[in-house]
Amino acid sequence: MQKGFKRKFEPIKILNDSQVEQIHTASLALLEETGFRFENEKGLRLLSENGCIVDYETKIAKIPGFLVEECIRRTPSSFILRARDPEKSMMFGGNTFYFMNSCGARYADVETGTVTMPTMKQNNDAIIVSDALDTVNFFCSYCPYFEIYEVPPVMSCPVSCAQRHRFSSKPSRGAQATDTFIWETQIAQACNAQLLGCVEGAAPLALSEDAINAAFCYLKAGFPIYIASGSVMGGSHPVTIAGALVSHNAEMLAILVLLQCIKPGCGIIANNFVNAMNMQTGDLNFGAASIALHQMAYNQMWQGSYKIPVNNSGSAFSNSKKIDYQTAAEKLPLALTSVLSGTNLLTFHGGITAELAYNPILAVIDDDVANTIGRIIEGFDINDDTLGLDVIKKVGSTGTFLSTIQTKDFWRSENFTTTVFDKTSYNEWISTGKKTIVEKAREKMETILAEHEPEPLTENQDKEIDKILKEAEEYYKNKNLL
Amino acid sequence: MTSEIISQLEKMVMDFDIDNAEEIAIKAIDSGVDPLNAASALTNAIRKIGDMFGAGELFLPDLVCASEVLKKSFPIIEAEIKKRGKEKKSLAKVVIGTVYGDIHSIGKGMVSTLLYAEGFEVIDLGVNVESSKFLEAIKMEKPNILAMSALLTTTANEQKKVIEGLVVEDIRDKVKIIVGGAPVNQEFADSIGADGYGANAPEAVKIVKHLLKIN
Repeated sequence: MQKGFKRKFEPIKILNDSQVEQIHTASLALLEETGFRFENEKGLRLLSENGCIVDYETKIAKIPGFLVEECIRRTPSSFILRARDPEKSMMFGGNTFYFMNSCGARYADVETGTVTMPTMKQNNDAIIVSDALDTVNFFCSYCPYFEIYEVPPVMSCPVSCAQRHRFSSKPSRGAQATDTFIWETQIAQACNAQLLGCVEGAAPLALSEDAINAAFCYLKAGFPIYIASGSVMGGSHPVTIAGALVSHNAEMLAILVLLQCIKPGCGIIANNFVNAMNMQTGDLNFGAASIALHQMAYNQMWQGSYKIPVNNSGSAFSNSKKIDYQTAAEKLPLALTSVLSGTNLLTFHGGITAELAYNPILAVIDDDVANTIGRIIEGFDINDDTLGLDVIKKVGSTGTFLSTIQTKDFWRSENFTTTVFDKTSYNEWISTGKKTIVEKAREKMETILAEHEPEPLTENQDKEIDKILKEAEEYYKNKNLL
Repeated sequence: MTSEIISQLEKMVMDFDIDNAEEIAIKAIDSGVDPLNAASALTNAIRKIGDMFGAGELFLPDLVCASEVLKKSFPIIEAEIKKRGKEKKSLAKVVIGTVYGDIHSIGKGMVSTLLYAEGFEVIDLGVNVESSKFLEAIKMEKPNILAMSALLTTTANEQKKVIEGLVVEDIRDKVKIIVGGAPVNQEFADSIGADGYGANAPEAVKIVKHLLKIN
């Protein structure tokens, strides 16, 4: 089992109890009075059997408050996701905290910022790099790249899932578009692994046919589920943080109700990817304060109040096109506020150019940052050894702590020592070629690619994956999608 | 009275007065104002809004709210123009829509509003538009420009599908095509055989004017 990091202090709360109640009550009222659109008849029938008022023409189900609250109770506060290598399995929930690899549509050149279609080798190398990084615990769907050169768009998700299983033993999230869940489920099962199934809403207040079909498929396979309803404040959600909390909360609860009606007691992790809008361009405005505040309040509602594990994705990307100060300035405040307010999973490594690109060099840098974030939430111990009053007395006002056994014994545990940040003296920096953090990260990446060997699949598993991908191709050809 | 009502029409757009837009438009018609002058007042005002947006003085919600004022008021003015047998001149005709599988409307709406403000006739097919609907509109409306938007990487290829459909129908050379949206760039536009690419709404308008050789 991957250990992740353990938060050793209470999460930050930014809402008082009556504000939590106000948001919860407003969400229930929205679901009961306005309802939620489920674009799938099988799902609607099931909801009707469970007490919802269903209009099959508009596909809207009005969900009674008692059902929502019963489904919250049915959802476990923690669950295990089984990886193909048992040592890489994960236990989501409680005070455990993991990192998820971010992703991007295409490959970003770190020197020029130019974005190009990644080759299969670039895709596989990026997976190998993340397999080697200790703080990457988990891969998201279509990760690291949404697209791969010469892979038809409809095959992108199944192929991406296959390559992640081939080049990493860490667990992955599945995807839901265009029936990909059929093939991704089979690929994971062929590797004796579970996927974290994926059911993503289409804000405002709707869930697509694909998403509902994915829910039935992943739950039938016995997989736990990641739920989300990605949106943008001022577009698909209200521009106010309070209003966006209500509409997003209602969406997530509606999805949770469907899942708990399909399979009572199933494990769920609930993501928050509610963005701010750049009011000049209409694009996503990464790093905005409202995203951080929304995530913090959401974590308090779901992790703190509903006792359901949460994932935050606001720090997955930056609007910057290159690895620079802006990248860090947009990602880090959101990452820290997420973690301090109790998220169990944070999407973080490698994403750049506002979802449009990814680069493994950034993932290497983010590994150092992630270790420091993890070190912060693990807090510190107070006991006789760490207080070391006798040591303080002995040093008095004239000595140094550098020569004490306490310093020798404890310095490593008090800080994470970064690997690619420039910590050289000025003279050393000059004499070693004035290397930047990007150059040092590139060197570390090249070392990883030369030395790291992911745990291979068996020959039979590899052949089985080939067979599944061929079946997927046939399936899409028959549907005229290939 | 005429200049007063014209000022009121302009002011209602500049003040984003969505709630009273219909009422003021009806009042303008009832006052006997020339509907062509009323239409000019509205388009002048939305052009000012567009310019201020382009200059970074106004923002997206301002632009969208101003265009909502036009959506409510302009049909009333336009109906009166037709009733009096007059004709409103337009620079050219544009068919616009967000491609199939994609329900994003903000970027398309911005382009639509700014083109309209510049004096183009805009036929907005909406969002999630199937390629067959685009082809049908091209055949029926015979526009000078087809503008397609896609905000998702997975739907950008739909733009290609529409262009291929025009080639198959042998009408590709009858219309200039521009594309836009987050996953689209000049390289992609070139690769699918589009005539132009606009990175944002004001640029899309410039590209349209350039393609049609309008100063």
